[in-house]
Amino acid sequence: MDREENNQDVRLIVRSDPRFLGSIRALVRGWLEACELAGDVVDKVVLAVDEACANTIRHAYGGRCDETLELSLHENGGYLEFKVSDHGAPCPPECIKKRALHPPAADELRPGGLGVPLMYEVFDEVVFCPGATGGNCVTMRLKRKD
Amino acid sequence: MALTIEKSKSGEETVIGVQGEVDLYTSPQLRTAILKAVPKAGNGVAVDLSGVGYIDSSGVATLVEGLRSAREHGKTFTLVAPSPSVMQVLELTRLDQVFEIRSTS
Repeated sequence: MDREENNQDVRLIVRSDPRFLGSIRALVRGWLEACELAGDVVDKVVLAVDEACANTIRHAYGGRCDETLELSLHENGGYLEFKVSDHGAPCPPECIKKRALHPPAADELRPGGLGVPLMYEVFDEVVFCPGATGGNCVTMRLKRKD
Repeated sequence: MALTIEKSKSGEETVIGVQGEVDLYTSPQLRTAILKAVPKAGNGVAVDLSGVGYIDSSGVATLVEGLRSAREHGKTFTLVAPSPSVMQVLELTRLDQVFEIRSTS
């Protein structure tokens, strides 16, 4: 384990099976409560981390349930940091659509595409990059306001 | 954990009551229930979300698909009594301005 890994509060390796998303949410919620984050922000952060994990399962692994994703959680100064990494199909960061959330007009109402915008909506910083040994990594940071 | 989905009739409306957490794992179950109900419904479909403790973007996408299908079939599509956590996600995605939402069945 290198020094950076050793600094994490939580490192979790989970099978890429959507059945386990509920367990990931429970763990993230517990960690946020241990960090004493204000209640109204907790729900939004749990949602946005869940979206990052679900995106990994859907896009990096194409829905395959027999791979793994890694989630690490870390409190660093005034920031809470969340990292989700995989070893699935590389998705070039420039292909990830960062669009603003706005009420769609009737003719542009379409299901899907909300996960990444939700991540940008909730976090102060979202960085997509290639993983250290292939795959993808997304780092999300939340500045503590309390 | 799977969702509990119950279908009932209220006048000319089909009511789909949902209980549990709607996420990438469970939203296909809700999608099937909604898309089956829409064409057979009298005037329209109402989805009761009072028992939903969590919904993610795949769940919200399922509701959008239901709304689109209802429009194609000339039916109404209404969300009933969304729990506070569902409402928060609808507001975050700005879709609270798109759906017809009412507080009781």
